[in-house]
Amino acid sequence: MAKEMIAMLLAGGQGSRLYALTQKLAKPAVPFGGKYRIIDFPLSNCVNSGIDTVGILTQYQPMVLNEYIGNGQPWDLDRLYGGVHVLPPYQKASGSDWYKGTANAIYQNIPFIERYDPEYVIILSGDQICKQDYSDFLRFHKEKNAEFSVAVMEVPWEEASRFGLMVADENDKITEFQEKPKNPKSNLASMGIYIFNWDILKKYLEEDEADPNSENDFGNNIIPNLLKDGRNMYAYHFDGYWKDVGTISSLWEANMEVMDPENSGIDLFDENWKIYSRNSGMTGHKIGANATVENSMITDGCRVDGNVKHSILFAGVKVEEGAEVEDAVVMGGAVIKAGAVVKHCIVAENVVIGENAIVGAMPTADEKGVATVGPGVVVGPNAKIGPNAMVSKNVEGGEEVW
Amino acid sequence: MVNSNANALGIIFPNAYDSYVPELVNDRLMASIPFAGRYRMVDFVLSSMVTSGIDNISILVRNNYHSLMDHLGSGREWDLTRKNGGLSIYPPYSEKGMKVYAGRVDGLASILPTLKDQKEKYVILADTNIAVNFDFKAMLEAHIASGADVTVAYAKEEIPEAMMKNQDFSNLYFTFNMDGNHIKKIYINSEEKGVQNLSMNIYIMDREFLIKEITAAFVRGFVYFERDILAPNTDKFNIQGYEFNGYKARICDMKSYFDENMKLLKDENLDGLFAGNPIYTKVRDDNPTRYIAGAKGKNSLVADGCVIEGIVENCILFRGVKVEKGAKVKNCVLMQDTVVECGANLEYVITDKNVKVSVAQELHGTDSFPVYVAKGQIV
Repeated sequence: MAKEMIAMLLAGGQGSRLYALTQKLAKPAVPFGGKYRIIDFPLSNCVNSGIDTVGILTQYQPMVLNEYIGNGQPWDLDRLYGGVHVLPPYQKASGSDWYKGTANAIYQNIPFIERYDPEYVIILSGDQICKQDYSDFLRFHKEKNAEFSVAVMEVPWEEASRFGLMVADENDKITEFQEKPKNPKSNLASMGIYIFNWDILKKYLEEDEADPNSENDFGNNIIPNLLKDGRNMYAYHFDGYWKDVGTISSLWEANMEVMDPENSGIDLFDENWKIYSRNSGMTGHKIGANATVENSMITDGCRVDGNVKHSILFAGVKVEEGAEVEDAVVMGGAVIKAGAVVKHCIVAENVVIGENAIVGAMPTADEKGVATVGPGVVVGPNAKIGPNAMVSKNVEGGEEVW
Repeated sequence: MVNSNANALGIIFPNAYDSYVPELVNDRLMASIPFAGRYRMVDFVLSSMVTSGIDNISILVRNNYHSLMDHLGSGREWDLTRKNGGLSIYPPYSEKGMKVYAGRVDGLASILPTLKDQKEKYVILADTNIAVNFDFKAMLEAHIASGADVTVAYAKEEIPEAMMKNQDFSNLYFTFNMDGNHIKKIYINSEEKGVQNLSMNIYIMDREFLIKEITAAFVRGFVYFERDILAPNTDKFNIQGYEFNGYKARICDMKSYFDENMKLLKDENLDGLFAGNPIYTKVRDDNPTRYIAGAKGKNSLVADGCVIEGIVENCILFRGVKVEKGAKVKNCVLMQDTVVECGANLEYVITDKNVKVSVAQELHGTDSFPVYVAKGQIV
């Protein structure tokens, strides 16, 4: 039984610019938005778009991600035929290879794709926050009779040179591809989401693999080769919310935007496009008698006895009496002890912030840093973490880190 | 076999004491009454059985059980989709000769063939009107150690007035005259004042014992396990009591339903019910709860999926509740997807699922008599 379209989700990225947050887990497993991980977005998009077969390509620190995905049940992707499959690099009789590049990761899994005999393959990125209907993208791809389509976003012209750009004609047919050019001819940035006709993808993957000089990368090799051969390539305009949360500040910002769905465009409250996640199984959150909570998002298992303002608390966070939390992203299981002040920062999973410690600071005109405390770190009482600090080791009581 | 599972199967009676809360069981049963923000009553005993290593659980439903079937599904959320055992729901009329049961005896008689087929040595029986994080494994160990025919869990407490008031021929409750752990006499619907040994209706016995006694009792036309099998035979059977002194929430009327919810606003009570083993429930995939500018939350237990723009104080909010701008909710239990519109003012109110309180409406109950708004009503 052939599938019309299956998804291949690139989830091997290290996310090195998230440093302390991605020491022990791959970027797609980074917690987001109170009860999600980044990978919940593409996975939920798949299932909401009717895609029931997803291969997840992992490489960097896959343990947390593997455990999180499990059999795919939270996303309704535990299927008899299809469903979600984690695809790490593996040893073959002829030797073994890490995934050398994005294209090589797909190349090494051609046998997986062929099991489902799809007409189309959608390539997804596991490190973006985006709610997108892939079935509409596929409709476009079919309407244009395309062999390859790429989802693009209009970006401000002054920022265009940071992106891979698609130059397209009035029919959305792609005529040129510019990778981070000095002089952009277009402001259509590639979102790294592609639909291929499977026969075309397979052909180009095999040719690319045979080329010893190739970096085996979609952006640098496959797309230029398609262009060179004059393939039917189209740009699909997407104008919803999209964010590559590759840096501490963009991750923090995207979390803040979740709290403002009316203006930011990222609405996690949409009954018709739910984002699924593995459930914490904790009881409801408890707001104490002396707590104040303002303009925040709080999820199961939290105990709030302090003051929380414009912050996101993930499952099981404790904010003790007198503690102050503002503009903060506080991930699962973290404890903010009495009198601590936690502002404009990211506090990762299972961190303990000691009594009266100070983490981060509200931004000023020349200081806008987002302080980051890595997973499991214990910050001693009265310690001080500066607004630009990136902490991945325990901090003694009274110590200062800048 | 690795010894991680208890050698016992569980049987749950989800309709027991339905008539204590007629309003809440209008189109559901005791087991599916929402409780503590995101749970249903059945979750507590069911999860406790699972975390005690019991993975073969039968639920003998009697009537109004659609909501329970919907809640339980295949039992996946309780890890009960098993090849061997797992969750079985037995509706009436599923077999020839089966009728809607009146008591445990005819209920159990209807599943005798299945009961005979099981492999577990012991059987645990439980109701769902008590929310409790219960260690069935410890009780089973006590049962085996004592060599009893039947072990029954009880708590030392006063008989709630509501139970005395609510009693009729189908709502029996039991107290024990004990010598050490040995139960010498079982009293039915006692009206004694002061602390009693009040049964929690959790029983452990040998499966063969249960089959034998149920068969004998059914043939004689008996109905109630306690009244007809145990109480007359305290001399013949070795019946042991197992004292439970942990936290429990017993529902015996609307007032106690309200009070038991409210009690969870105290941290020690919340921990008493939840700090032990996890309590599982059906996942709804709600987003985290959002407090919008102007919202004020104080001393409340709030589930996911709520949007709060107004003032919430001393409340239990279930999943998906909306409290709009300027609305004020104090000392309330608001069940799933209740909407309190702008400027409405609620005090001592219980709203059932999908209730809407319209703009600027006022609704006031009292501590001793909370107002109840039925499922789907618009105020």
